[in-house]
Amino acid sequence: MLFFSYFKDLVGREVTVELKNDLAIRGTLHSVDQYLNIKLENTRVVDQDKYPHMLSVRNCFIRGSVVRYVQLPPEGVDVELLHDATRREARGG
Amino acid sequence: MASGLRIVTERVGDGAGQPVLDPDNGEELMHVQPGVSIVLGNRPPESPGTLYISTKQVVWLSDTDRAKGYAVDFVSLSLHAVSRDPDAYHSPCIYTQIETGAEELESEDSDSESDNILNLSKITEMRLVPSDPNQLDTLFAIFCECAELNPDPIEAEGEDGHNWVFSADQLEDDGGEDDDSEWAIPENSSHSIGSNGNHDLAHSVVQLHINDQRFEDAEEMEQDDKNGHH
Repeated sequence: MLFFSYFKDLVGREVTVELKNDLAIRGTLHSVDQYLNIKLENTRVVDQDKYPHMLSVRNCFIRGSVVRYVQLPPEGVDVELLHDATRREARGG
Repeated sequence: MASGLRIVTERVGDGAGQPVLDPDNGEELMHVQPGVSIVLGNRPPESPGTLYISTKQVVWLSDTDRAKGYAVDFVSLSLHAVSRDPDAYHSPCIYTQIETGAEELESEDSDSESDNILNLSKITEMRLVPSDPNQLDTLFAIFCECAELNPDPIEAEGEDGHNWVFSADQLEDDGGEDDDSEWAIPENSSHSIGSNGNHDLAHSVVQLHINDQRFEDAEEMEQDDKNGHH
C-alpha cells in the first residue's frame, strides 16, 4: 500500500504517466485508488507528433495495470521519508 | 487475459434486443445509452446503436442489424477519457484504448486494410459518440466506476521468482479492505508527505523509529554484557 499512500499525497500535482504501450500523458493528478488506477485532469500527450488524435482530453482514467512509469514532480519527492517507508515495507511491516 | 474487442452476434429480447449478460457470475447492467455511434480505430462511425455498460463489459449493439455488435471487457480497456477537442476528433466522445494482447505477435507487413475484413485484434482504439454530448461526463463516471470493479486477476509469481511487487494488483490480498476503492480527492493540496494528510506513511515512519531504537538498545546491552565479562 506504500505507493497508494504515496500517490495519494501527489494529488493535485502535475505528473507524467507513461503507459506500457509507450504513450506518455501529462496532467494533473486528480485521484488514485488502491489498484493504482490513475485519474488525470487537463491532460496532454507528451509526444504529440506520434499521437496527434489524442492531442488533448480533459479527463482521463488510466488502468493501473497498464502504467509503466509515473514521473513525479521533483518537489513532490521526499527522499528521506520514502527511504524509511520502503525499508519498513521491505521488512514486511 | 486482455482479449480485446469482440464481435457480438447474439442478443436477447424483442426488437433491437439486449446483450446477453452473465448474471451467474455477478454481471449486472449498469447503464443503457441510446443514440451512440461507435468508431473503431480509423474506420468510419457506425450508427445508430445503443451502448450497454455492465459491471464487466461495454457492449455496443446496432439498432438496425441484430447480428451486429461489439463488446470489450473492462479488463481490456487501458484507458478511457472524455474528448471534446475538435482537433482530436470532430465530435465530442468517450475515447478508449484497448489492450488486445496481440501486439507482440503482430507483423505490419501482412496487414491489408483493403480486404475490408475487420480484424478486431488490431483495433486498439474505440470512440463512443453519444448524440447528446451532455451525457459524456455521466458515461465517463460510469466507465470509471466499472473499471474499478475489474482489477486484473492476481497472477502467479513472476518468471524471475522474486517477490518484488510490480503492480497494485499484486497487493490485493494485502489490503484487507473491501472492494470499494476509495479515491483520494484533494482536501488540502498543500500538505507535504508524512504530515497529517497521510496517516499510513507517517505511522510507518514512527514505527520505523521505534524499531530502530530497539535495535540500538539491543546493541548497547550486548556491549554492556561484553564489558561486564572483561
